[in-house]
Amino acid sequence: MTRNLLVAILLASGVFVHAAEPPDLSVTPIARDGQVFVSFELSDGLTSEVQDAIQSGLATTFSYDVELRHGSAAWFDRTVAALTITATVRFDNLTRRYQMSRTLDGRVEDAQPTEDQDAMRRWMTRFDRVPLSATTSLETNGEYYVRVRARTRPHNAWFVWPWDRASAFGHAKFTFIQ
Amino acid sequence: MTRTAVTSITSRPAGVPPPAPARRPFRDNPRLILAGIGVLLVALVAIVVANRSPRFSPDFLTEFVLYALSAADLTMLVALVFVLARNIVKLVVERRHALPFARFRAKLVALLLVMTLIPAMLVLGVGSELIRTSVDRWFNEPMDEILSSANQIAGDYYQERQNVVRDHAARIARTLSTVDLTNPDVRPIRDLIAPDVTTQRVQMVQVYRTAAEVGSLGQLDPVVDVAAPALPSGYSRAAADRLAGQALGGARDTRSVETLGTSGDLLHAAAVIRAPSGHATGVVVVTDYLTGELAARSRRMTHAFESYNQLRVLKRPLTGVYLSFFLMVTLTILVGASWMGLYIAKRITRPVQMLAAAAREIGAGRLDQRVEAHGYDEFGQLVDAFNTMAAELATSRRRVERSTIALERKHLEGEARRRYTETILERIATGVVSIDAAGAITTINTAAARLLSLDRSIVGQPAKTVFERTDLEPLGRLLAGAGRAKTEPAAQEVAIAREGQEVHLAAVATALVGEGGAADGVVLVIDDVTPLIRAQKVAAWREVARRLAHEIKNPLTPIQLSAERLRRHFSAAPPPAKALVDECTTTIVGEVESLKGLVDEFSQFARMPSPRTVPTDLAQLIADTLALYDGLFAHVRFEKRFAPGLPLVRLDGEQIRRVIINLVDNAVEAINRQGHIVVEAEHDKANNLVHVVVADDGPGIPLAERDKLFLPYYSTKGRGSGLGLAIVRRIIAEHGGSIDVGDNMPSGTRFTIELPC
Repeated sequence: MTRNLLVAILLASGVFVHAAEPPDLSVTPIARDGQVFVSFELSDGLTSEVQDAIQSGLATTFSYDVELRHGSAAWFDRTVAALTITATVRFDNLTRRYQMSRTLDGRVEDAQPTEDQDAMRRWMTRFDRVPLSATTSLETNGEYYVRVRARTRPHNAWFVWPWDRASAFGHAKFTFIQ
Repeated sequence: MTRTAVTSITSRPAGVPPPAPARRPFRDNPRLILAGIGVLLVALVAIVVANRSPRFSPDFLTEFVLYALSAADLTMLVALVFVLARNIVKLVVERRHALPFARFRAKLVALLLVMTLIPAMLVLGVGSELIRTSVDRWFNEPMDEILSSANQIAGDYYQERQNVVRDHAARIARTLSTVDLTNPDVRPIRDLIAPDVTTQRVQMVQVYRTAAEVGSLGQLDPVVDVAAPALPSGYSRAAADRLAGQALGGARDTRSVETLGTSGDLLHAAAVIRAPSGHATGVVVVTDYLTGELAARSRRMTHAFESYNQLRVLKRPLTGVYLSFFLMVTLTILVGASWMGLYIAKRITRPVQMLAAAAREIGAGRLDQRVEAHGYDEFGQLVDAFNTMAAELATSRRRVERSTIALERKHLEGEARRRYTETILERIATGVVSIDAAGAITTINTAAARLLSLDRSIVGQPAKTVFERTDLEPLGRLLAGAGRAKTEPAAQEVAIAREGQEVHLAAVATALVGEGGAADGVVLVIDDVTPLIRAQKVAAWREVARRLAHEIKNPLTPIQLSAERLRRHFSAAPPPAKALVDECTTTIVGEVESLKGLVDEFSQFARMPSPRTVPTDLAQLIADTLALYDGLFAHVRFEKRFAPGLPLVRLDGEQIRRVIINLVDNAVEAINRQGHIVVEAEHDKANNLVHVVVADDGPGIPLAERDKLFLPYYSTKGRGSGLGLAIVRRIIAEHGGSIDVGDNMPSGTRFTIELPC
């Protein structure tokens, strides 16, 4: 009886209403030419809500926190390198063009317009060979993993619990062999 | 101005200086709390107002405002739960400890909470629904249709104009494909593109050629540009240059829109000029101009559409902001109501609690307890009155304590005097009987009880009843007459019979007079004057004996001599006469001798010397004396019963020996020389006396004769001088002791001598 009442209260408060399944985030680390590159793609990242936000002219930003970490069985994992990548798009309903930009740790890397929605989707969700760290900081035969956390702004927060609940996570392990 | 500040009351002992005014806690400072709530509300209103400003991004709404409001809501909720839980726990604890006013405080808080909770929840529910409904009503089909259509029109118009410009660019590029762009003479090129401008198909045409040298405009050099005079001043070539570069670089999108602010928009389109061989020789950028008013209207339509859709996208956080704000206000009201309830309850109960605690302390005897009040309201006046009362109580108590100490001292003194008097009364030989105004006996001392043969349990009984006894009637009459005489009462001698003996008492009954002259009872004082009377009698008898001896002894010798002379004179007379004379003279001489012996005894009684006492073994003395009787009386059995450990007694051995002999002789005579005589000696440690008893199993002495036994010249034997027991009593009296006679059990007489050790 009490349990049912509790569930009813939680449902009424909307806690579970918007606990949507986070999109899939695939991560692929590569070590080449003395560098660790990471490629990742946020599949289904442009949900209908996000598309609505973009089409409404809101500046929409996908923020990716990328971390190269060294796993440790006895202690906390060590972060070898970290960077934050943002992809921002703003749709102009008059000219029907997407103005896109990318930043790397706050530094604008690229900006371009497009009318192509697929190009915009790729721009926002797909990143190829992003340099993450020099391999000199890695240990040979060391077990590493790259962890990527994606967030969307503005997110469609709910008033009962506005804190971000829809972040997407992805990670991939690799063994560094020199 | 009347000060109506919070009454802060603390209990402290009197005399302790008041502590420095402590800083009031936040919860006791309503101004601070109201100011805090006001600042919070102002901040929230500012946030909401600021959020409406276009300068703030939606992120500000979803990641700051909503977070702040939700955090405030949670804080308020936690505060409310904390306040209520704390109050409930305190209530439970206080009720367990039976603290006063706990229930009252809980009731007051609960009442205020209920009074505010119900309307607040109603307002919250209705308001939330209103907000939801209102937000939902922002978005409806007609509005969607209108704004979408408007946006579609504006967008389509821009698209169409851009497509036209792009087509012109492509056409001009094809026209210029056969023209040598490297020729310094640009007139042929101008002639080719000028008609498009002059006919206002386009507003500006700019021609670039591929750069001959590296670093010149990237890869392009401007060749010629033709612009219509209608173009607004202030535009730059930067947009056209960038678009030309993008077109030459193979970009798919070769169109751009350059906004000139309020002057309008420039629509650029670029096309690569290719020679017949197919290689790029240059780029042409064609520009069309949309006037400011047209562009502004289009922008407004699009902006309206975008704002509308942004609202739709942000509908949930917006609703959340309003609901959070509304919830926060509700929670603020509830927290405020709880706090206000607690505050009011404390304002009411705390002074009373302090007063009750101080009253308990004062009730427990700690009269130095004071209640400190800060404030001049009614509670302050009450506290002042309480403190005044406590101070007066303390003063009164100190006064009472001083009086009590003095009273106790007096009581102790009185008690000591009473014990002293009681001790005296108990120890003295004078009997004292006190009778209260109601006629009941209040006290009777040991001597009185002994003298009057009364039990001490008569205390409380009416004196009249007690003194109705036949032998006490004279005393009863004395008591009845007490207080009637106007002069000081004189002692009266009263003779009463006690155990067959006459006891002479000197009695005085004195009436007690209380305050105001009222009768307060009678005190009867009695002295046993029997020994005195006896001594007086003995003294009288001694005087009689002395005179008798003197008066009788003197004529005896002439009588005896005369009788002997007569005998000698008639010695020669005829035998009958001589026989008569001899018989008469012999009788006279014999009687004279007898009288001389009697006179000697009287003389001895009268001139008995004072005893010369020395410590003597009384048992040995008695044993030696009894040894004189060994073999004298065949049918008399003498028995000695001497208790072990008899102490030495200071006495005159010869006199005591005479006493024992006298008593044993009397006993032998009493049993008619046939019977059992017991002589006992024992030590009375309690009274430091030695008791010597001479008892026989003879016929005994009648009660009526016992009082006369010790009088001189009294004898039950019909012979002798009758001075034996009188001498015995005198010897014993000279030794400081006493002698008494009583019945022996089962028969006979028992003489008991008491001698001090």
